[in-house]
Amino acid sequence: MAVVYEFVWQVLHVLLHIHRTLITWFRTRLRNWNGQLWSRALTALLVPIALSFPNPKNLVPAPGKRVGRRYRCGTDGKSLEKLPDHIALLIAEEEPRYTDIANLVVWCMAVGISYVSVYDNYGVFRRNNSRLMDEILKQQQELLDLEGSKQLSVEFLNNGTVKQDQQVLSCQSVLKVLSPDDGKLRIVQAAQQLCRAVEQREKTSKDINVTVLDSLLRESKSTPDPDLVLKFGPVESTLGFLPWHIRLTEFISLPSHVDVSYEDLFSALQRYASCEQRLGK
Amino acid sequence: MSWIREGELNLIEKLSANILKAGPMPKHVAFIMDGNRRYARKRQVERQEGHTQGFDKLAETLRWCLNLSIHEVTVYAFSIENFKRSKDEVDGLMELAKQKFIRLLEEQENLEKHGVCIRVLGDLTLLPLDLQQHIARAVVATRTYNKCFLNVCFAYTSRHEIANAVREMAWGVEQGLIKSSDVSEALLGQCLYSSNSPNPDLLIRTSGEVRLSDFLLWQTSHSCLVFQSVLWPEYSFWNLCDAILQYQFNHRPLQKARDQHREGQALQQYEADLACVADLLQHHGNGKPLDAQRRQEALLNYTASREERVQNFLGALQHKRDSFLTDLTSQAALA
Repeated sequence: MAVVYEFVWQVLHVLLHIHRTLITWFRTRLRNWNGQLWSRALTALLVPIALSFPNPKNLVPAPGKRVGRRYRCGTDGKSLEKLPDHIALLIAEEEPRYTDIANLVVWCMAVGISYVSVYDNYGVFRRNNSRLMDEILKQQQELLDLEGSKQLSVEFLNNGTVKQDQQVLSCQSVLKVLSPDDGKLRIVQAAQQLCRAVEQREKTSKDINVTVLDSLLRESKSTPDPDLVLKFGPVESTLGFLPWHIRLTEFISLPSHVDVSYEDLFSALQRYASCEQRLGK
Repeated sequence: MSWIREGELNLIEKLSANILKAGPMPKHVAFIMDGNRRYARKRQVERQEGHTQGFDKLAETLRWCLNLSIHEVTVYAFSIENFKRSKDEVDGLMELAKQKFIRLLEEQENLEKHGVCIRVLGDLTLLPLDLQQHIARAVVATRTYNKCFLNVCFAYTSRHEIANAVREMAWGVEQGLIKSSDVSEALLGQCLYSSNSPNPDLLIRTSGEVRLSDFLLWQTSHSCLVFQSVLWPEYSFWNLCDAILQYQFNHRPLQKARDQHREGQALQQYEADLACVADLLQHHGNGKPLDAQRRQEALLNYTASREERVQNFLGALQHKRDSFLTDLTSQAALA
């Protein structure tokens, strides 16, 4: 009997796998078609079938508008009820595409988000920091609509050192490149610091509370906790991302960062704008 | 028994359960039981009724978990942030909790039969004293049972839990039980309220909200997160199966990520030990560089002594926590 169940389980998972692959395939296909009617019709067909798909909302393929479109990022940002102060891009996929991530970063900043973080589970971005920065500067030139000669200036925060861009700033955003070491390891380091202070009789154990720990873990007083994490990839987990800082963070999943479009990002931001945070009340 | 609904699965449910069990199953599931008040509004009943139905749904869900051989469940019952709610609502929730814990103690035999160990995680000192005493009695009474485990997070937030763990380690340093260099990720994990449980494999949040709300932030860093839009009092067996399916989908990549993290941790610990040994040798050595074998011996000795210190400290910590609960129960007995 156990063999039968196992067989059925295998079949079930194969079917679900095929189903998921089909959905992703359709999504990329439909994106390239400009026929909105087609995409809506096919979506209507697919959505009822997608019972066990994690996020049916993200099935709706974006209308196929790609490079060459003039982005009205600034106005789009103002049209939203609320914008996150700090957005984190969590790449839970094996092969990161720097161009796509750079696009996302630039769009986020253009829309008016002050703090953008980029994270991956393997610390790849941390190690290839300069490559990411180069890519971002390149995309910034290519993609942004120079509305009234307002240029974005980006301040890169990396390992606590700040690199200033040469341009004069009228609109400033901060990019942080994070890795798993910024999560639990940072908390442990803060704990060690506090315990050393206790060892040297500078503090007592009773002095340690949430506020003290929080101030140690906050990179700078002005950096807010992430309001929104956009997770790219099929893995449903935070994968070690900043455990301390994500207590009130909204999580929105997108299937992939590969060939991600501005519309994908904007619809995620619209979804964030409609979230209601009750903060325990 | 009021905390775990009696009953078995029907035929279709049993069939589905058996199919699911052919794949990897979570051993520990955590629930954020959100949506009681929205449910009450939807059904046009009192808020308190929503919470009561929420508790009944918990009892039913525990039954399903047992049927699916999931032996450990953690639930987010009351957050420290929830104290911000109206006095009436908070008092109502405290009263509900008190009644449920009293009822629990009345069903001692059933608890023993099912081997249910109840643990309450949180800062109990924030609760009314009579509730603290009831909780203490329930926890102490079921301490030795080990067939299944129910962890109730009450007066809990993850940040408080982590800060408390750091405070406990600092206490250990104050008492001379451990050194500040013994502080590690593993040790911090063992000082959390949840130290007797493995990390949850699966975290489910109902009612469509997509945040963690300060729940098990440390423990769920590599867990499968499933956000479901159903309101908690309307949760069904099929919702649970859906969540487990998603866990099964994510099982391999998460296992890989977890293993990788563990390897990184081990490496960090090894390097930390090396650094401490180098430090020690510098201070106590006679200036002559040691050969590789002596260095290796010194490292092994250091690691062994560190582990012994840590075990002693954890024993003392457990004793402190047990005494707190036993003191409460003796207070309750005298009252």
